[in-house]
Amino acid sequence: MSDSYYGRPIVKPHQWKPEVPAYFWIGGTAGAAAVGCTVARIRGAHGLARVFKRTALAGALASPILLTLDLGVPLRFYNMFRVFKPTSPMNLGSWVLTAFGGALTASTLAELCGVKAASVIGELAAAALGPVVTTYTAVLISNTATPVWHEAYEGLPFVFIASGLAGAGAVGVLFAPPEERGIARRAMVLGSLGMGAGMQGMQVGLGPLLSEPYHEGKAGAMHGAATLLGLAGASLGVIGRKNRFVSSTAALCTIAAGVLERFTIFQAGKQSAQDPKYVVESQRARLALRALAHELPQHDERRQESEHAEHRMEHHAQ
Amino acid sequence: MIDLFPFTSEASEKSTYAESHARKGFFTDTTLCIGCKACEIACKEWNELPSDGMTFTGQSYDNTGELSGTTWRHVAFVEHGGNGATRWLMESDVCKHCTHAACLDVCPTGSLIRTEFGTVVVQEDVCNGCGYCVPACPFGVIAKREDSGHAAKCTLCYDRLKDDETPACAKACPTQSIQFGDVDVLRKRADERLEQVRKTNRFEGASLYGRKTDDGIGGAGAFFLLLDKPEIYGLPPDPVDTTRDLHKMWRVMGVAAASLVAAVTFSAIGTRR
Repeated sequence: MSDSYYGRPIVKPHQWKPEVPAYFWIGGTAGAAAVGCTVARIRGAHGLARVFKRTALAGALASPILLTLDLGVPLRFYNMFRVFKPTSPMNLGSWVLTAFGGALTASTLAELCGVKAASVIGELAAAALGPVVTTYTAVLISNTATPVWHEAYEGLPFVFIASGLAGAGAVGVLFAPPEERGIARRAMVLGSLGMGAGMQGMQVGLGPLLSEPYHEGKAGAMHGAATLLGLAGASLGVIGRKNRFVSSTAALCTIAAGVLERFTIFQAGKQSAQDPKYVVESQRARLALRALAHELPQHDERRQESEHAEHRMEHHAQ
Repeated sequence: MIDLFPFTSEASEKSTYAESHARKGFFTDTTLCIGCKACEIACKEWNELPSDGMTFTGQSYDNTGELSGTTWRHVAFVEHGGNGATRWLMESDVCKHCTHAACLDVCPTGSLIRTEFGTVVVQEDVCNGCGYCVPACPFGVIAKREDSGHAAKCTLCYDRLKDDETPACAKACPTQSIQFGDVDVLRKRADERLEQVRKTNRFEGASLYGRKTDDGIGGAGAFFLLLDKPEIYGLPPDPVDTTRDLHKMWRVMGVAAASLVAAVTFSAIGTRR
């Protein structure tokens, strides 16, 4: 047991409501779907492209609502746009999400009015912004003092793209015309497997201490269930190629896994902030490493200190 | 690498105003703290912060618990040791007003600002309560207020500073454990006090916390003289402004974003539609 102040948390756990992890899944799926829309168009799978486009549009329209609902002062949501601030991933994300939603809305309107060129341009813009929409949320939570988030900044974006890919694929499997489901199924299975591998890889990167929240308590249980659902989704997706019922079940399993994994990550973040040992032990280890690596500079520091003292003495003499 | 945007936290170190004042801060000398909590009360009264209710934590004389949106000074009572050699340490904790302030960096609305006094302040009429600053703070200081929905923390009594007044907590402190002033003056005083405490009073474990300007937050505007390890007082041993790593995060994100395009393309190639 590391030292602490009555076991109280050092850093504050996030205070975000369930709307935020829900948005993370919906936004991530929408971003991947926007990429999928353009790729499906290039492959000539226009039915699938339509499903992807509607998914992306629905996600892009639902996202700001969810995010606004989470705000402490929802009527001031527009203050997100009073600055452009690159040190704040949430600020950049707000701008990107707005452009993303704007592009999809414009493209859909153009499509309805029969202006094909404008529709394609909108789709391309959304496809360009989609990967940012899917991944910036990983940077957003990594850029905090929450131990399991900050230290996982190399792994989280990959978990998020896999989850987005799986989600978009699953929606495609559910709603695309039967003859065009192949692309969606492949995306779904690839995404599901990627999410499982990504979560494992992320935990390896976090090391034995910081990966603990993913095995313990509520987060541990949720992670276990999400892993099983993801595996079920992937294997049923492969097996159920010809069977509508099996592939739909696979898609639902995949969606459930993706949503659950987002909530797991939020819960693990909370757990890692609530127990001070994650902050203390990881920072102590960092300090010990630094002391080891900088034995010589430490020497310098002492010299600097004495120079400092001399300087002070001179100052006094004056 | 050329930085097109201020991706690092450098932008937030500079005051939004013309630097017309010296940087102000606190030096909290915990060796002088008697745990009277006058600072907590003075802060609540001056800043019109509501009560947090009557609770008994069972943790020494500390029934406040932690800093929050409605508690901007918090006196910690540490009972450390055992076998008849228990040390009773008291420390009045407060926002550190970091040089590299994570809360300010991540704030998406620009509600959090660096004032002309070098302090970090929430503009409560701008904050929309997104809550990003809450997990970003490496000290767990800032929090969302449940009553009003926006984030709140110590302002170093911004309103009093504008009138050349001492912040309420420092004014109320009967032992000068909380000292207010220009940061560079306070730093010098802290150095001298540390030497005195170490040599004269033989507290060899004494150290200055937040005093070094090359730590993960670039030094604190409110720093402390501690008699034991920081974590004993509920302080992180090596606090870092998370934004220090942000440029690395963007780079990883770029690779991930490209991978997403590759994965979607791969799903579409060679598949029978």
